[in-house]
Amino acid sequence: MSETTPSLLLGTGLSKRFRDVAALDDVTIALQQGTAVALLGPNGAGKTTLLRILAGASSPSAGSVRREAAAASQIGWVPQTPAVYRRLTTRENLRLFAALESAAQPNAVAEELLVRADLARFADTRAGELSTGTLQRLNLAIALAGRPSVLLLDEPTATLSPDQVRRLWTWLDQLRHDDGLAILFSTQSVDEAARHAERIVVLNAGRTVFDGTVSELVRAHGRAGASDADAAEAAFLNLVGAPA
Amino acid sequence: MTGALHLLRKDLRLLVRGRGLLAILIGYPLVVAALVTIALQSGERRPAIAFVNLDTSNRTVRVGDRRLGVVDYEQRLANEVDVKRLDPDAAAAALEDGRVSAVLTLPQSFISDLQSGIRSPEIGLQVSRRSPIEAQSISRRLESAVFRLNQELAGTYVTQTLNLVRVIVEGGDIAVFSRQGSILGLKRSEVLVRQLQNVLVGQGQRLLASRMDPLLNFIVEAGVNLDLANAAATAISRPITLTVPPTPAGREPLSAFGFAGALLVSLALVGVLLAAAALSSEREDNTLVRLRRGLIRPEALVGEKVTFAAIVSAAIGLVLLVVVALGTSLAVDRWALWVPTLLAAGLAFGGFGVLVGAAARETRGALLAALMLALPLIFLGLFTDSHVASAISEAVPFGPAFRSFQSLLVEPSVSSSGLWLHLGQLVLLAGVFTGAAALVLRRRSET
Repeated sequence: MSETTPSLLLGTGLSKRFRDVAALDDVTIALQQGTAVALLGPNGAGKTTLLRILAGASSPSAGSVRREAAAASQIGWVPQTPAVYRRLTTRENLRLFAALESAAQPNAVAEELLVRADLARFADTRAGELSTGTLQRLNLAIALAGRPSVLLLDEPTATLSPDQVRRLWTWLDQLRHDDGLAILFSTQSVDEAARHAERIVVLNAGRTVFDGTVSELVRAHGRAGASDADAAEAAFLNLVGAPA
Repeated sequence: MTGALHLLRKDLRLLVRGRGLLAILIGYPLVVAALVTIALQSGERRPAIAFVNLDTSNRTVRVGDRRLGVVDYEQRLANEVDVKRLDPDAAAAALEDGRVSAVLTLPQSFISDLQSGIRSPEIGLQVSRRSPIEAQSISRRLESAVFRLNQELAGTYVTQTLNLVRVIVEGGDIAVFSRQGSILGLKRSEVLVRQLQNVLVGQGQRLLASRMDPLLNFIVEAGVNLDLANAAATAISRPITLTVPPTPAGREPLSAFGFAGALLVSLALVGVLLAAAALSSEREDNTLVRLRRGLIRPEALVGEKVTFAAIVSAAIGLVLLVVVALGTSLAVDRWALWVPTLLAAGLAFGGFGVLVGAAARETRGALLAALMLALPLIFLGLFTDSHVASAISEAVPFGPAFRSFQSLLVEPSVSSSGLWLHLGQLVLLAGVFTGAAALVLRRRSET
């Protein structure tokens, strides 16, 4: 797919240094329409740094980010900690960010997102009073206010309960299949990556140590005889050097 | 720019929605304004002074056609201070426990020294060490009172001397420094000498008569020169005359200083804290990461917070002015100038606040840092006595803001007050601080 479909988002040779520390070192990553890519790696591997650079929230020390002119240039950014105004209501947050994203009709966009994110009953509730799962849905809905073609999510399910995780992924899968969004999400769960991504990129100490499918990960680094989930998990741990 | 307007609307909405915060923002400056005005105007209060009279002679001294006694002196003091007549021990105790701010002691020989015309009576003044500012004020008030009394006495002495000169020239009764008597006078002496010369000439003693010519010349010259002493003595009694133009009603310097100080303290705190909190709360809500990815430039974001702080502090300033206009005699009628002045000051305060807000990691830290930095600098703006204080005060918004407030409150004519210079300085400082804040924000966003 990556060979034939043009990339909506292409990061090439991306590096980021914080004084003497290399948080990211020569990473190249591409995202195509309708695909989901999982960014795996231990803490401090550079996942958040890469996502921030791709989202435009930070600039790389070296390398470049290219967005396809043919595609909508908007990128939806879902930071790990919800980025919402906690004293504004759900509706007001959506209206404000739709306006900031230069939506022609911010109010209409907000009402549409309230329905799509299943937030209508919380429309007039202040964001600070929402539960963790609902707040994460608002966080994601805000990222959609600019009608993006690419969605970048930083560990979106890290603080959610299993039920909340299931509901969130149902919506994300729907966005990918129905709206053709390209999704890049970081996670520490090999299982989550295997379930929801066609491709996995593994970062370790700021470098790309694997880029391929789950099957390729298992084949290259896994153990024979293990179940699919266990094999993927073992392959990942083997790859990043942690004890299996 | 549109993004900044959306955020400005959001900030104003949140401010209005937080009724507690709004009440504090309006009530706090009113309270601060009242407290600062009271504190700064405490110099106008009449201090209490213990008056110890060791001269129990009950005598009075005649100075010209007037008699001066201790009671008269005490009454003069009462015009300046609140006088409490006490004995030495009670006065010392009152000074010790703070009931009086100073003890004034008249010596035992006060009237006799005054009467002598040779020795000056020495009045003792002991001020409280616990309130040095008030003590300084009391010393100045009493120095002023003694100076005025001395000047009055000097005038009386000069009048008396002139009377003496007149009597020496014209002749008549004399009463100076308790000496009394009658003298002939130069004019009558001249007449007598001339009569005597004529008699001698008539008796053929021309030689003897001519020997009296030097005496006659002396009498004539002395009379002419003593006449000149009139003008000289009048000039000596008042060598320098101080003329103070009357202050226009409602522009009394001390009241204006008090209110300008109150306005500075309250609006500076509101502007600085609001701007610092508004910017740092974007970081605390984590919305900064979303805004920074192309939704709004750092310059526009800090500019929006500065504008927000300026609008709110200017609005609060106008509320304070309306309260003052309705409740006091202070002239705050230059509304067309107050609006740009308050906005310029608000922009500069906001600029200072966003710089702190950009550097701080979270809102509480930003508020604490803003308060700790702003407070000493605000008071430096109020009292710029030294060159160093003045230089620091010029580099931050508080000094120029205070002077522009004072210009509008005190100066009879705004054109000559340098107001526009102060406003230009405020706008420049707002730009510098806002630019620095944008730079800090840009750098902090990368980490």
